[in-house]
Amino acid sequence: MKEGSFVRIEEHPILTFPKDRRKIEFTFEGKKMVGYEGDTIASALIAQGVKVFSYSHKSKRPRGFFCAVGKCSSCLMMVNGIRNVRTCITPLKDGMDIRRNDEDE
Amino acid sequence: MNECDILVVGGGPAGISAIRSAKLGADVVLIDDGLKLGGQLIKQTHKFFGSAEQFAGMRGVDIANKLVSELYESGTKVLPGATVLGIYEDGVVNYSKDNVVREIKPKRTIVATGAKEKNLLFENNDLPGVYGAGAVQTLVNVYGIKVGNEVLMIGAGNIGLIVTYQLMQAGIHVQAIIEATDHVGGYDVHARKVKRLGIPIIFKHSIKRVDGYNSVEEAIVVKLDDRFNPIPGTEKKFRVDTVCIAVGLSPLAELLWQAGCEMKYIPELGGYVPVRDEDMRTSREDIFVAGDVAGIEEATSAMLEGTIAGTEAARSLGYPVEDDELEKAKSYLNQLRAGPTGKKIRIGLEKLLGKRHSFETNATIHKPSKSTMPKNKRVPVVECFQEIPCNPCEASCPFDAITIGKDINARPSVDYSKCTGCGICALKCPGLAIFMITEDYSDSESLLEIPYEMLPIPRPGDIADGIDRDGNFVCEVKVLGVIKGKDKTNLVRIIIPKEYADRVRSVRVKEYKNDKIVCRCEDVTEKEIVEAIRRGYTSFDELKRLLRVGMGPCGGKNCREEVLKIIARETGKSVEELEVGTYRPPTKPTPFSAFKNE
Repeated sequence: MKEGSFVRIEEHPILTFPKDRRKIEFTFEGKKMVGYEGDTIASALIAQGVKVFSYSHKSKRPRGFFCAVGKCSSCLMMVNGIRNVRTCITPLKDGMDIRRNDEDE
Repeated sequence: MNECDILVVGGGPAGISAIRSAKLGADVVLIDDGLKLGGQLIKQTHKFFGSAEQFAGMRGVDIANKLVSELYESGTKVLPGATVLGIYEDGVVNYSKDNVVREIKPKRTIVATGAKEKNLLFENNDLPGVYGAGAVQTLVNVYGIKVGNEVLMIGAGNIGLIVTYQLMQAGIHVQAIIEATDHVGGYDVHARKVKRLGIPIIFKHSIKRVDGYNSVEEAIVVKLDDRFNPIPGTEKKFRVDTVCIAVGLSPLAELLWQAGCEMKYIPELGGYVPVRDEDMRTSREDIFVAGDVAGIEEATSAMLEGTIAGTEAARSLGYPVEDDELEKAKSYLNQLRAGPTGKKIRIGLEKLLGKRHSFETNATIHKPSKSTMPKNKRVPVVECFQEIPCNPCEASCPFDAITIGKDINARPSVDYSKCTGCGICALKCPGLAIFMITEDYSDSESLLEIPYEMLPIPRPGDIADGIDRDGNFVCEVKVLGVIKGKDKTNLVRIIIPKEYADRVRSVRVKEYKNDKIVCRCEDVTEKEIVEAIRRGYTSFDELKRLLRVGMGPCGGKNCREEVLKIIARETGKSVEELEVGTYRPPTKPTPFSAFKNE
C-alpha cells in the first residue's frame, strides 16, 4: 500500500469527509508521522501505510487491528509509555509517542 | 458514591432508545465507551428497511445523528469515552474514564453493550490484512481510510453483503464473496446490489489460509463438501491485500455474566444470551437488557427493545411511562419478526422464552411474475422477490399505487392504473430494487431509470456500459440524464435497445472512455504503453510481454509501427535505432488442424 494521503478517501457518493483538517504530528517507533484532527491512533497509522501494530507476545507474529471498535486486543500499542492502549478508540493527539507493544519487562 | 435511578450501559440504538423512554421522570445516566455515541449506526451508509413510521428509508448514519442530537438536546447525563469495568452483586457499577476508575450505584441498570464480530479459524488468521468486516466498515465510513485495495469478503449474510457494497462505493474493489452454505444468508435485495456490480458470490467455499510478508498478499479458498469439510485439490488463490470476516456476531455479555445473570446458549441468537422476560428484565430484578446483547438481530429491533427495557425499568421504580409507545414498540417488534426472514430469531426466542410463535414460513425468493404493466408510460418495475419487513415504497407513493398492507413482510404490488410514473418509490426503496421503465420510448428504444449510488456518476450524453442483474455487460447505453435524489440516491436515465429492456439493470461508466487504442486485438492503449516505457520497458518485445501489445491475431501488423514511434518519442531515439522485435508465424489466424499432414 502506498503511503500518505493516497489511502484517505476523498470522494464518496454518500459521505462527505472533512477537508483541510488540522494536522497532528506524532511519532511511530521514533519516526515522524502526520495524521489529522478526528483520527484515532489506528486510523492515522493505517493512513500512513502501517499495518503491523505489534508483534505477538509469545510467537512474535505480526498483528494489525482487527475489530476497530475497542473490543479485541489486536491493536494494543504503547502510547507515551503506557502499555495496552486501545489505539482504535484513542484519539490521536499532538506529539504522541507510539510504539509497538512488543518488549517484555 | 454517585447514585442514579437508571444507568444505561452502551450508547448504540438500543441504549439511546432505552434512555429516551426511561427519562420521563427517572434520573438517568448513559455510559458509552466509543468516541462517538450511536454505536454501530454511525458507520451504516445504507438505507434501513422496516416501517416508514420508524426510520425506514433513512441511512443508519443519519438515524444516529438524529438520535444523538435529540439525546444531547434533552440534557441527559452522558459519559462518553467511559468503559464499564464491572457490575457487582450489590448493584454497584464501576467504570474507567480518562484512566480514573469511578463508581456509581444505580437502582436499575440496562445493559445494551451490543455485540462483537465472530472469529474464524484458518491458517494465519491473525495476519494484518485479515480484519472484521465491521472494522473495515468503521475505518472506511467513519474515518475515511482506504484500508486496502483488493478485498475478499468471507460470508454472504447481511453484513458481508452490505460491507461489500459500501467498500465498492468507497473505491475499494471486492474480488468475491465466499459463503460456506449454498445460499445467501442476507436479504435478497442486498445480494442483488452486489451482483449487479459484478461481484461473484462463491457458495460452498471457505477460506483455508492467507499468506504474505507482514500482511496479507494472497488468500487460499477451498470448496466444502456437504458436511462443510474442505475438499483437497479444490484450492483457489486470490491476490488480495485484505480479507474481511463477516461470519456473524456474538452478544457482548461479559457484564451480565459478572453480575450473575442467568445465561443460556442459543445459537440462533448468536451464542450465550441472558435469560429475560418479555419486559427485557433478566433473572436479576435490577438488570434489564436491550439490543444485540440480548440476541443478535438488527438496529431497528434494538431500538424497539430499548424502548421496552427503558419503559419497564422506569415503571419498576414507580415512574410514569408512556404505555402507548410501549404497546406500539411491542407490536412493531412482533411484526418485524413475523416474516420469513425473522424465522431464526423466532426459533431462538421460543427457546429462550419457552413460547411458540404461530407464523412458520421459510424465507423463499419468489420468481418474478409475468408483467402486465403498460408499455407506453413511465412505470416502476419492482424487483423485490423476498418477504422482508419493509414498506417505504408504499409509504412514499403519493397516489396509493403501491400496496404492502398490514403485514409489513408482504411484497409490494403496483396498481398501474393509479401510478403516475413519478419515480418517488424508485428513489426511496432502501433495497434499490425499483427501476422506472418507459418501454415504448421510441420504436426501437426503451428508457430505463436505475437507482445508482456509485461514483463516478454518469453524465448526460455519456455512452456507458449496460450491465445485467449478474454484473455482465449487455450492451452500450446512452445516458439521457441523472435525477439527483435529496438523500444521495440518484436515478440514472438511460436509453437502451428495446430487446435489452428486461436485461439491463445497472450502468457502468466506461473506464477507458477516451483512450487511444494502439493495439486493437488486445485493447492496449497509448497511455498504458507510455506508462510502461516510463517504468523502464523500452523495447517492443518487453512491451509485448508486459502488455500483450502485438500478441493478438493480427500478429502486430497494425500496432508495431505505432509502438515503435511511441518508444522513439519517449526515449528521444529515432525509430531506426530501435529493435524492431521478433516476427513469428503465422501471419494470419490459422487453426491447428490446418497444419496436419495429409
